Amino acid sequence: MDFYLGLAQVIGIHTLLGLSAWCVLHTGQVSIAQGGFFAIGAYVAGMLTSMWGWPLGLALLTGAILSGVVAVAVGFPALRIKGLMLVVATTAFAEIVRLVFFNLTWRVQTPQGLVGPDGSLGFGGIRYFPGNGWTTLEVNFLIWFLVVVVMLFLGWLDRSRVGTLWRAVGEDELAAQSAGINLTAAKVSAFGVGGCIAGLAGGVFAHYATHIEHNNFGILLATFAIAYPIIGGLSSLAGTLLAVIFIQGVLLEGLRFLGDWRSLLFGALIVVVMLVRPSGFLRRSLGESLGRTRHA
Amino acid sequence: MDLLYFLDLSQSIIDGVLFGAIYSLIGIGFTLIFGVMHKINLSYAAASIGAAYLSLLVVSAVPAPLVYVAAAIMGGVLGWLVYLICFRFLPLDNPLASLMSTVGMLLAIEELISHVTRGMPLNFPALFASTNIELGQFFIRGDLLFVFVLGCVAMVALMQLLKRTRLGLATRAVAQQPVAAQLCGMSVNATNASTFVIAGLLGGTAGAMAGAAIGVLSPLMTLPLTVKGLVVTVIGGLGSIPGAIVAGLIVGGVENLFQFLRGVSERDIYVMLMLFVFLVFRPGGLFAAPGGRD
Amino acid sequence: MIRGHQLVGATLAATIALTFSSAAFAQEKTFKIYGFGAKSGVVGIFGQQSEVAMQAAAAMINKAGGVTLGDGSKAKLVVEYLDDRCTAEEGINALRRIAAQNDAVVAIGPTCSNVAEPVFGVLQKKVGDASDSGLQFPLYTDVAAKGGLAAMSQWAFRNVPSEANMYKSIFEWVKTTRPELQTFWGGVEKDFAHSNATFNVIKTQAGNTGLQVLGQSEWLLNDINFSNQVREMKRANADLVAISAHPFTTCGVLKEMARQNVKPKMLIGLTSSSSMETLQGCAAQAEGLIIPTSFAPVTDEARNAAAAVQALNSKYNMDLHNAAAFENIFTLKELIEKQKIMGRPDTVQADRQKMRDGLAAMKQTTGLLGKVGRTEDREAIKPFLFVQAKGGNWTVAHTPAQ
Repeated sequence: MDFYLGLAQVIGIHTLLGLSAWCVLHTGQVSIAQGGFFAIGAYVAGMLTSMWGWPLGLALLTGAILSGVVAVAVGFPALRIKGLMLVVATTAFAEIVRLVFFNLTWRVQTPQGLVGPDGSLGFGGIRYFPGNGWTTLEVNFLIWFLVVVVMLFLGWLDRSRVGTLWRAVGEDELAAQSAGINLTAAKVSAFGVGGCIAGLAGGVFAHYATHIEHNNFGILLATFAIAYPIIGGLSSLAGTLLAVIFIQGVLLEGLRFLGDWRSLLFGALIVVVMLVRPSGFLRRSLGESLGRTRHA
Repeated sequence: MDLLYFLDLSQSIIDGVLFGAIYSLIGIGFTLIFGVMHKINLSYAAASIGAAYLSLLVVSAVPAPLVYVAAAIMGGVLGWLVYLICFRFLPLDNPLASLMSTVGMLLAIEELISHVTRGMPLNFPALFASTNIELGQFFIRGDLLFVFVLGCVAMVALMQLLKRTRLGLATRAVAQQPVAAQLCGMSVNATNASTFVIAGLLGGTAGAMAGAAIGVLSPLMTLPLTVKGLVVTVIGGLGSIPGAIVAGLIVGGVENLFQFLRGVSERDIYVMLMLFVFLVFRPGGLFAAPGGRD
Repeated sequence: MIRGHQLVGATLAATIALTFSSAAFAQEKTFKIYGFGAKSGVVGIFGQQSEVAMQAAAAMINKAGGVTLGDGSKAKLVVEYLDDRCTAEEGINALRRIAAQNDAVVAIGPTCSNVAEPVFGVLQKKVGDASDSGLQFPLYTDVAAKGGLAAMSQWAFRNVPSEANMYKSIFEWVKTTRPELQTFWGGVEKDFAHSNATFNVIKTQAGNTGLQVLGQSEWLLNDINFSNQVREMKRANADLVAISAHPFTTCGVLKEMARQNVKPKMLIGLTSSSSMETLQGCAAQAEGLIIPTSFAPVTDEARNAAAAVQALNSKYNMDLHNAAAFENIFTLKELIEKQKIMGRPDTVQADRQKMRDGLAAMKQTTGLLGKVGRTEDREAIKPFLFVQAKGGNWTVAHTPAQ
């Protein structure tokens, strides 16, 4: 049981990461920067709880807000760039963040000894969960509570005017601009919200793993982040969740019996899924599938 | 700051620029595919290294130059396979789907290499390995110079191909207006496939040259070459082949320069910042491609 | 075009088939020892070799009658090895999965130091601390060697060489046999925890024996251009060069050194590079490289173990990494018998506690090169020797007094 709860934790964290990418992809921007915001959230929240004893909730919130602020700052120059150039620019940003943490050494003396990021040796000792006696079930409640809150928030956002603006910008920028929509506001707000959510996911990840290092936050993670909404279907939030369950649950854990072949099949299965269903698992949002029509 | 310091600084830049020739070759491949299909093929560098690995199958039978030719041919074959699997059957108006499938391809190729070689770095034949041309106090690595010349030759050959042959005409036509090109009787699929094959030939050569320059092949090479290749493509201007060459040399030189000045831990930060500067002040790249979309 | 439901159906059928086929073999009493580590990816060879070594050791024990459980019955040892692909998340998942099995009493692993640190972090820190909800599962590591990790949890035990000891010894040996070597230059792979941490050890020990540390060259794990670094090395012209890096970049640097004609009087390498990979990549350039290691086929036990591994699967051999896994199986067998571990589903938590206590109480274990001491913070004091690359093989350069 404990194993499935642990798996559920991983799925929850990756769902948050996928949802953060969903926001940005919704406005038509392909961003590989989600890994960078994830890293910022992880280090900030980890540092706050383990170095200065902050309570978890406050630390996670601070990590999320800081990531959001950085995201808005990144969002502004992102306006000038589209398509492949944005992909490369966001990749560059994510690499810069990773390298900053690679170089960051800041340790303080705590009752548990010297704690803090130690450059390339990583940042260990983030033992808030086990140290405070959280069971796997309780951690799961926290993670899934956050997932539900974020999904409800995004769902509300999607049905509100903001969601309409995002979708308009995502479909056709020129038409949206001609209709008087402020492209700046839409794109930057998407980046900011996405960055916040990624930061939140990162903060939870740091506490889940108890030890983080720069290698955790490479380009591969960011690629996973955009893979979830793309494979899940961009018009649907539930699709992202489904994609995470598919990749983390079925492909990575479920295929263990395949031994070495699991890793080989992983890439191949992604290709196959794209060939079979290029628009993603769920083409319409859950609400639409349940019969409600979307009001523009 | 004495003479030795400046000598070393200059030598760093020279080494870096020459090494950048490899980045140029990868950049040409990325930009060629983007210029024609307006899609990114993220598995390109991985396929190039894969082609170099495949060429090792014949290494005991043929002399070194033929191994490189074998790598080029394997690259062409892999290019065609990538086109078939990741692009041919996907709807053209869904760039995200092909992006994801090339990501899947990248992961699959890397894993396949790790699986078959069991992660062991493999010796790769080097050409002109001990040739060092001396220009006063400076050394110029013979093999990197060869790669540089190869890149220039490839550029000239590609430009001629695009401007003077029917295939080149078809490629440009399909890139600009696929529907009109089809109406004129050109096969979009065949043209795109041949673009991938040509890019693949270049990629195989690039992979072989990278292997020859370091002396060993390892699956660890794929991701950094992918990132550098993308950076080079963007700085050079999407779709511009001369741009990719120049940008590759610049990236190589800047990378080594900052490594000399600030050490290896901060080197890539500066390279990425340089990319940002380009994107802010010259988003079209060095040689913005004429007329194309995006 | 493959339909979605056809794919699901095929997967389901395969899963069912495999489940039933493995159930068919569960006839006699078995005791399972789990392992986890990197079985795929760039470092996949480590996990694969550990698994084969564990299986070879288990086969040897089973041939001699198996292991005696707490209730006096005999059982055959069975090995199950999970792949964590050298990532923290999968390492934690693998450990949780193992801990959830009611036949799992102990596990050998992980392979990568960057997995060991998070995995040890999720274990209960102090035994008996009710406020600590960490996992209560004993781990006996075979490969992950970054210094000081076992101190993180009282459930973590390691059978890896102490790099501090080995490099202290090798520099002392250099001082006595090659007193004319005065200066030192280092090369380090900065972005990998293990090579970076070990380099600090190397530099300190070199300085302690009187070598003048002139400086160091740095590079990253997947760098491909070493011209700057080797030029720095050339300018310094140190007598002794030590390279703390894994085979790919070690070979890259050695080849660049050959190109720039940099020939130090002595070359010392990183422990984990004393394997076939370095020789596959650059045997010619690695000629003369000396590395301290905790395994070489120099004793009967070592030779038999190496032969057993080769006999089980000729693709694999024995090196310092999976030698530890081999030793671990024998140690665990002794502990199962000494601690009277029952091996029943209803005694699982008690068995784990007994296993942990047994591991903690050990003062000494039997290794393939001789006796292995244990430290207070659950690390090992392994016998070691120095090997040198000669003609495409690793030969013994010197066996220091332990």
